[in-house]
Amino acid sequence: MKLLSPYRIYILCCIFISGQGFSDSLKVHGFVSQGIVQAVDSNFVDDDEDVSFKLTEVGLNASYRINNNLRVAGQGVYLNGGNRYPEGLRIDYLFLDWQLLNSPNWKVKAQIGRNKNYHWLYSSTRDVPHTRPSIVLPQSLYFDAFRDVALGVDGLVLIATTDNDFGEWDVNFSIGKSKISKQEQQNLLGKSVIGELNHEIDKQFSLYWRPKLSNMQWGISILDADFKYDQALGDTFFDGDETSQRVMFNMLYQGEKWEFASEIMKERVIVNNLLFPGYKSDATGEGGYLQSRFFATPDVTLMARLDLYDRDRKDRQGSQIELLSGGMVPGYFGYMDQATVGASWLFSKNIQIQAEYHRVKGTSRLAPFFTPDLIANDSKYWSMWAVQLMYWF
Amino acid sequence: MLQMKYFIIFCVFWICIFAGIRSEAAQSQFQKVKVIVNTSVPASTVSEQQIRRIFSMRQTVWANNQSITVFVLDKKHQVHQAFSTNTLGMFPYQLERVWNKLVYSGLGEEPIKVNSEQEMLDRISRNPGSIGYINSNTEYENVKVLKVIKE
Repeated sequence: MKLLSPYRIYILCCIFISGQGFSDSLKVHGFVSQGIVQAVDSNFVDDDEDVSFKLTEVGLNASYRINNNLRVAGQGVYLNGGNRYPEGLRIDYLFLDWQLLNSPNWKVKAQIGRNKNYHWLYSSTRDVPHTRPSIVLPQSLYFDAFRDVALGVDGLVLIATTDNDFGEWDVNFSIGKSKISKQEQQNLLGKSVIGELNHEIDKQFSLYWRPKLSNMQWGISILDADFKYDQALGDTFFDGDETSQRVMFNMLYQGEKWEFASEIMKERVIVNNLLFPGYKSDATGEGGYLQSRFFATPDVTLMARLDLYDRDRKDRQGSQIELLSGGMVPGYFGYMDQATVGASWLFSKNIQIQAEYHRVKGTSRLAPFFTPDLIANDSKYWSMWAVQLMYWF
Repeated sequence: MLQMKYFIIFCVFWICIFAGIRSEAAQSQFQKVKVIVNTSVPASTVSEQQIRRIFSMRQTVWANNQSITVFVLDKKHQVHQAFSTNTLGMFPYQLERVWNKLVYSGLGEEPIKVNSEQEMLDRISRNPGSIGYINSNTEYENVKVLKVIKE
């Protein structure tokens, strides 16, 4: 009898009703990659600053079409990025995709479940090596210590796409929250954290426009996220809350030989209590990058990027940080500017090797964010290199 | 200090863009292609904007609500390159980028890849609502040619 449980009957019915074989409705893809990385004079990858193999990204995804309006999609990943984010297996996304309107010129859908962040240029596939311009993304916006929160939400996403005489339009809205792991709490607050940091609510909106039949794309996105911290017994932190608000603009030009991309943002971070009762901080940071890629041959791509970030637009050199800490925290914790060059070579079908070098001035985007690690990050200038081999199907 | 930096970078950026656009002018000649559909497809013409929309997987139904199945050749196939560049006005890497985003973020599905023009013809003739392309010189039967209207 178990073989004919209502659930199984339902699935079988769906397959027959859709009038297609299972193989047409089910799509499976994945990727495997391993790299070698070293960050010198910073704790970005590892505390010991040695050459490391902590650059592994593996994923497997499936999309199953139940009928014309319903689809289920999910991806599991194993990631290891050293100090950059928590190591291990996780469900990257898993949601029900429900087409609310599907006409030749309009598509409106809702995705319910664990969703990716579809709002920034590279956010939806930031762990999929062959879809990224570089192994490590620009830290001004794709801040690794804040990564899990920016990765997506457990909640609802609404997406509308349409075309008109002006071009192609995409509108995305998401609401929900994400789970903050212990390591990520440490990345944000510091190793001594024993309380609980919770993501209360996250709302994001974005609009993309590609002028009619052009190679340009313009985008804007806004983010509003609230966090709450509950103090534990013997904690060095206090009950408090944090709000992050971002406004971002992006542009993309895709030519035959050249591609140019840029994203800029303003990020307001408001902190109440948390560090000590009565503590208040309200600072607006600014950052962004300009990136060019040159397609030397169909298989070889060269990349150059400049990424800038200032934690407080009123204190770009970090002199207030130095002053308020009585000289304990150097001013270079107030900014982080980064120049990157890289190359990738697609040497066989779906197999690519990618390499890059970063030269960095400042440590503002290094973990922990709220209580700087002055011992590991005692250099104003630091550098990083990485090589990664990747395969996908 | 930083604002000055932003300004300089912005200028360099736009100079590069215009240099890039100029280099686009020298495009190599590609062969001609035909867009083909299953005989069940009601349309006989399609606009350039709409064909882009279909192959970017943004449009997934025909006007009569019939589902669209998209077939494509390998990105290195000459016919695919000609179709992408001349018919869609998109470089093959742009299409691949769009499909990668769909597949690896869960947003949607990519087109079905076929190995040869013969397989393309074969599958389009058998699948209602399907669309693909072949070289203009390739002989065909049991499929319909869709005229692309340039805007």
